[in-house]
Amino acid sequence: MTHDHIELSLEQSLDHCIKCNICTAACPVSAVTDLFPGPKYVGPQGQRFRMPGQPSPDESVDYCSGCRVCNEVCPTGVRVMELNTRAKAAIVEQNGLPLRAWLLGYQYWFGKLACGPLAPLANFGASNPLLRTVVERTVKIGRKAPLPKFSTYSFRSWFKQRTKSQASKTAAVPDGSQSTAPGSRKQVVYFHGCSTNYYEPHVGQAAVEVLERNGFEVIVAKQGCCGLPLLSNGAFKQARSHHEYNVEQLLPYAQRGIPIIGTSTSCTLTIKEEASELLGMHETAVRMVAENTYDIFEFLRLLHDRGELNTDFKPVQRSMPYHAPCQLRAHNLGRPALDILELVPGLQLSESTAACCGLAGTYGYKAEKYQIAMDVGAGLFDFVRASGSDTAVCDSEICRWQIAHGSGLEVKHPIEILREAYG
Amino acid sequence: MRDTIVIGAGLSGLMGALALADAGRRPLVLAKGQGAMQWAAGTIDVWGAANGSLRAALGELITTDPGHPYARAGAAGVEAAIDRFRALMESARYPYVGSLERNVLLPTALGALRPAAFFPATMAAGDMRLGGAAHAGPPLLLAGFHELRDFFPPMAAENLTGQGIPARGVYLTLPPIARRLDFNTRVFAQLFDDPAFREDVGRQLRAARGDATRIGLPAVLGLRDPLGAVAHLQALSGAQIFEIPTLPPSVPGMRLFTIFREAIVKAGGRLQIGAEVLRGEGADGALTAVYSAAAAREQTHRANLFLLATGGVAGGGVRTDHTGSTWETALGLPLQAPGGRGEWFAPRFLNEAGHPIYRAGIATNPQLQPLDAAGAVVYRNVAVSGAALAGSDPIRERCYSGMALATGWRAGQILSSEL
Ligand SMILES: Cc1cc2nc3c(=O)[nH]c(=O)nc-3n(C[C@H](O)[C@H](O)[C@H](O)COP(=O)(O)OP(=O)(O)OC[C@H]3O[C@@H](n4cnc5c(N)ncnc54)[C@H](O)[C@@H]3O)c2cc1C
Ligand code: SF4
Ligand code: SF4
Ligand code: SF4
Repeated sequence: MTHDHIELSLEQSLDHCIKCNICTAACPVSAVTDLFPGPKYVGPQGQRFRMPGQPSPDESVDYCSGCRVCNEVCPTGVRVMELNTRAKAAIVEQNGLPLRAWLLGYQYWFGKLACGPLAPLANFGASNPLLRTVVERTVKIGRKAPLPKFSTYSFRSWFKQRTKSQASKTAAVPDGSQSTAPGSRKQVVYFHGCSTNYYEPHVGQAAVEVLERNGFEVIVAKQGCCGLPLLSNGAFKQARSHHEYNVEQLLPYAQRGIPIIGTSTSCTLTIKEEASELLGMHETAVRMVAENTYDIFEFLRLLHDRGELNTDFKPVQRSMPYHAPCQLRAHNLGRPALDILELVPGLQLSESTAACCGLAGTYGYKAEKYQIAMDVGAGLFDFVRASGSDTAVCDSEICRWQIAHGSGLEVKHPIEILREAYG
Repeated sequence: MRDTIVIGAGLSGLMGALALADAGRRPLVLAKGQGAMQWAAGTIDVWGAANGSLRAALGELITTDPGHPYARAGAAGVEAAIDRFRALMESARYPYVGSLERNVLLPTALGALRPAAFFPATMAAGDMRLGGAAHAGPPLLLAGFHELRDFFPPMAAENLTGQGIPARGVYLTLPPIARRLDFNTRVFAQLFDDPAFREDVGRQLRAARGDATRIGLPAVLGLRDPLGAVAHLQALSGAQIFEIPTLPPSVPGMRLFTIFREAIVKAGGRLQIGAEVLRGEGADGALTAVYSAAAAREQTHRANLFLLATGGVAGGGVRTDHTGSTWETALGLPLQAPGGRGEWFAPRFLNEAGHPIYRAGIATNPQLQPLDAAGAVVYRNVAVSGAALAGSDPIRERCYSGMALATGWRAGQILSSEL
């Protein structure tokens, strides 16, 4: 194993632990289940028992959801979540990737197959209780867990159509990619990720339109899954090849200083930090792409800081609850969506203080963790329901599905609300 | 986007943010992590070293030691800060009692006696000066659970008895609804939020009470409505109930943080926890921006006014290394500190005059603006507060939290109206 500086800082961060248990008191998972003793124990403490070349001593670390609440509150900066995720990967290396982790890790293949004309059939299957029970029995994917609905069209097909209909005006861009609003001086690359492409193309449509309203030509580059579901299931080898592919596709833009913008806080986090840190990839190309990648509201907030944001907003007379997903919090950027949406006259967003929605990537899909995820999210569901609004707002797709599942409300990406405000 | 930034989310930074919010600013609070609040007892120790009136002791200190942080806050400032703090806690149904007339003595989890000026009403019946000088009243009862680590009622009771305060310690049986493998203070606090759990505990307390009129329990009696929980337990047990601070993580600290956060957010402020400030950037004697650690690149925060409340060595605001050099972590401000390691400590551990290193910190002028070694203001739009300040020995003076409140409040006011 290479002893890069991240590795070293992880090892050292273990020694920064003063055993105060503030993380354990904040961990949303250990609060609701006995199966997980909490961050201090499986993190800095457990790490002392993990020896290179020795069999993994871990069982309970698998119950860490990866939400990073521990990292956020630790007064001494111990990176507990990274320690946990690496310990999970060691188990996978030892025992192989179980079928379920494979299915969850490669979920985008289902999107490829089922998005489009076959969507109604696939959705019927996904919502069929009998089928879901069979799936739960065989591969242990929770029968009630909130699977998203496949879209009848993909984001990329929508974008292609749109580009075609604007064909006379289309600019030439590197091969395999498409772009809009030609003639504009300013360009951005949009990283849509799997979920926007196959499940929620409307999020991508809103993003493209908002960026265009701000005078940008939007390029939809060739891209693959960011690999996060593989990473969080400990499939590090497979995740690495995904990240390598994306870096290769995105590097030419990064080299030209063209910002890469995503609407999925998990995809952007993976590209910015998660993949390189967990996999120890610190090549210049990887870093360059990371440094050029932005969450869409982070990007809009930077525009606003420079006085370049189009703030020609129509009033939106609504009050809605907002939840900042863990993956956004891990960007350590505060609440960029709130910062921008508070510029919209009439709009009131109230932020939840709940630690986590519970689902945490693919965690809540696992049959034995479904109830834990629902218990973790209970406080958030209550908050959202108590708001009296029929819509909630959240930046991450997985959280949106979980909140909708747990609360019964419709849940939107903040970019959809901003799109609305541009009239 | 926000013109006022507070660095640090300990008692001082949060109090400063509240003052700024009260003045109509919408502060952004940046902090690396939780402050020392979750490590501390949740009492407000204004001047634990005072034997008589704290007000008189503070008055004297302010005239004789103008460089002391309390002198920067001023006598009126200290009182105003405490009033505002108490009003906030009152409005959150978590009132603080006490006064600047005298310290009370509250028991620790080990049965030692600790002076405090203000404390949550849930701890009030634990004042060990109650019950007459000779402690003529019936013995106290201290109760806990085997499942709660680091809280041993029989040992605490024995230590109190040894100091002339008769006490008895018992363990309660955890109600079956609460069975778990592992417990921490927060888990217990959540259990005490549940009336059914309290019913069971209350019945056990009544049975164990004997002739005791006061019962001490670990400070885990609920997060949602601790005052209500105490009242409920009193009704059930027939005795006065008081909380005894535990080892970290501190439930009273969690309550404080939640109350502050809600008030600051409600007033339009925002908290960004997990954001370590790495450096600042200034021009023409003013700080123009600070940079915090974020994924892939630093985040830039531009503002007009800054409050620095990053705490001392414990809070992470001050670092040292093996060479004995010391520095302030967020802005790299110069510290007023003993030259080398050799000068850090006085000869004896329990030295009357304290150890020089404990007085280290950022030197300021009366406006709490940071000064360099030559005594010149480093940034005119920055105020410093809390444990980061030089000029006091908070361990010996037992004034950490009082000083954090008073200077945080004062710094917020200076920033919003005087700078
Ligand atoms: C174990 C322990 C027990 C204590 N018990 C008591 C007690 O019984 N009574 C009492 O009065 N006091 C007690 N204290 C002290 C007291 O609670 C605090 O130290 C005091 O209130 C000072 O508060 P503060 O806000 O100045 O600093 P802190 O509470 O230390 O807060 C500092 C804040 O700054 C942040 N920070 C630091 N560096 C950076 C950076 N570079 N960038 C961004 N943020 C940064 C930290 O994350 C934290 O949020 C105790 C302290 C400890 C450690
Ligand atoms: S909060 Fe940090 S220092 Fe405290 S026990 Fe957890 S990892 Fe250790
Ligand atoms: S990442 Fe989340 S679930 Fe895992 S230990 Fe930390 S707080 Fe708990
Ligand atoms: S994180 Fe993004 S790219 Fe990766 S699987 Fe999820 S949606 Fe797809």
